[in-house]
Amino acid sequence: MINHTRRVFPVIAFLAAACLFGPLGIQAQTSSSQSSTSSQGEKWLHVRVISTDSKGETVRVNVPLELAEKVLPAIDHDRFHGGKVRIGCMDCDGVDVRTLFEAVRGAKDGQFVTVQSKNADISVAKKDGQFLVHVHDKDKPKFSQVEVKVPMKVVEALLSGGKDELDIVAGLHALASQNDVELVSVKDEDNTIRVWMDSKNVAD
Amino acid sequence: MVLLGKIALGFGATVLMAGAYTFHEGVIRVDVDESHGNGSHVHVWAPAALVPMAIHFVPRRQLERAGDRAAEFMPLVHSVAKELQKYPEAELVDVRDGAEHVHIRTHNGVLLIDAEEPGQTVHVACPLETIDDVSRELAEFAPGA
Repeated sequence: MINHTRRVFPVIAFLAAACLFGPLGIQAQTSSSQSSTSSQGEKWLHVRVISTDSKGETVRVNVPLELAEKVLPAIDHDRFHGGKVRIGCMDCDGVDVRTLFEAVRGAKDGQFVTVQSKNADISVAKKDGQFLVHVHDKDKPKFSQVEVKVPMKVVEALLSGGKDELDIVAGLHALASQNDVELVSVKDEDNTIRVWMDSKNVAD
Repeated sequence: MVLLGKIALGFGATVLMAGAYTFHEGVIRVDVDESHGNGSHVHVWAPAALVPMAIHFVPRRQLERAGDRAAEFMPLVHSVAKELQKYPEAELVDVRDGAEHVHIRTHNGVLLIDAEEPGQTVHVACPLETIDDVSRELAEFAPGA
């Protein structure tokens, strides 16, 4: 009987240990098999801010678009409600932004605004389904360059809500159906800011 | 002697099984260290599986109060925790500003928050499943739930 117990004990101990550490092992395998490229076409929105000043501030934010789409409707705070943000300046200085955009959407590809001055170069264009804004500020002692590239479908989705609101969730949903894209790029002597979307779950 | 062996075996196996169940969801860990003057040091380690169970032993009035206070944020917390479970390995936020550093990520289905600044460090680890469970439990006591 003692021999029998001796034979059985290691088996029970092994089973217990397997139960104890099994889930950890499975998780470890799962994690190790996961690479920086997310699975099944998941899209991630990345924000990176790198400051070259003395403190060397860096900000890296990576958000799965699907998560943002699901979570944003749960926020009900101030101007944000149901995945939409209410903004008061859709009619900016007498310019109806919505009507302006409708006009741009219906127009053919081209450069709509070009301003070249001693202080700044500004251009607003539409090309290959992308809404492009380029600002080169020459006025400051330090130069700055801003590039914004937003797919037209995303802008349409953003403006698909009420008159004075942006439908952020619809915008993210439209963005998720797009290919990898760099949305915003700001460069000046001290800071580099990038906002982009791709299928990697970590920023470079 | 044989009987004693059997009892010991049964007891040992039970303890191991109970331990396996208790820790199968992981551990909630909160470490706060203040290195200045009379700085406090708080270290809390608790099996995550026990937390949702422990909620059932909290007086209803206390839960209602907690639910009332957290009502505004519970849907958001629940939604984030539920969705983050789909991303068990993710770098979410990393902010460095001089000696200050905030790092939020998920690893093995655990939400890890590390915050460091001169004189103070905070490390929090909590399984996402536990956050989901607790937020769901508290939401039941929130007004209008």
